[in-house]
Amino acid sequence: MHALIIDDSRTMRSILRRIVVDLGFDVTEAGNGQEALTALEDGLEPDLCLIDWNMPLMDGYTFVTRVRADPRWRNITLMMVTTESEHGQIVRALAAGAHEYVIKPFTADAIVEKLELLGLAAQEVPA
Amino acid sequence: MTVLTEPSSFDVQAVVDEVWTTFLGGEPLVPVAPDFDPAGTFPGSRWDAAVTVSGAWHGLIVVSVNDAVAHAVTQAMLGLDDGDTAAHEDVVDALGELVNVIGGNIKSLMDGPSKLSLPLVAQAPIQAGGIVETCRLDLAWGSHRVWVTVGTRDEGGTS
Ligand SMILES: [Mg+2]
Repeated sequence: MHALIIDDSRTMRSILRRIVVDLGFDVTEAGNGQEALTALEDGLEPDLCLIDWNMPLMDGYTFVTRVRADPRWRNITLMMVTTESEHGQIVRALAAGAHEYVIKPFTADAIVEKLELLGLAAQEVPA
Repeated sequence: MTVLTEPSSFDVQAVVDEVWTTFLGGEPLVPVAPDFDPAGTFPGSRWDAAVTVSGAWHGLIVVSVNDAVAHAVTQAMLGLDDGDTAAHEDVVDALGELVNVIGGNIKSLMDGPSKLSLPLVAQAPIQAGGIVETCRLDLAWGSHRVWVTVGTRDEGGTS
């Protein structure tokens, strides 16, 4: 499985990278939506994109709308991971085609739980 | 009359606590009595990280720390080993993301819609014209100090 982590903060990309690598993902990083879109155009085929909202050049919301407008990328799971927590923004992102929405700050468990619900991480079987 | 609508210190403290412990774990932040005059000399070499909010509420959120805290925060967020020293650009990035998350959560305490700026990090005080300080938290992180200030645009009339 492959994750594309899109955030203008290298620190945040590193935090997310450690979480998904532990789940067995390979990771590609992009510093903004435009860079991520270019990676997709160049043939990257991620199963999952983790997407920040506020980034220079192209924000995460625009990235989601661009990905959802292109049938080549319909199988990619899109998960917003952002500090934006206004209700209106969450609704907009989900309406635009994001599958999940995680508000920063988050714990590793919160990300893993969302990925389990999306079928991208193995559910832990209760003992 | 000047009317300011601003987030309460109580709410700002709750946001800062949550962000700090989620990202940095370990030692919590403890409120302390103010022990330095912002207009005076900053204790240690200074790092300020700031975001602005504009829209229904106009505000400036600044996190101020000394060099030791700046590096410790960066080490913790990047998961560096004790022996590794964070590079200058790593410190800029880590403090920027820290204030981005604190600022975004403070923004959500206020009526929207409003927009969060990209973070600005400097080794100097960050201020903005027309913004008055409406909340200041003096916090201890172990033996170190962390300051968080929230300013709100003076919608003022006659202050
Ligand atoms: Mg960002």
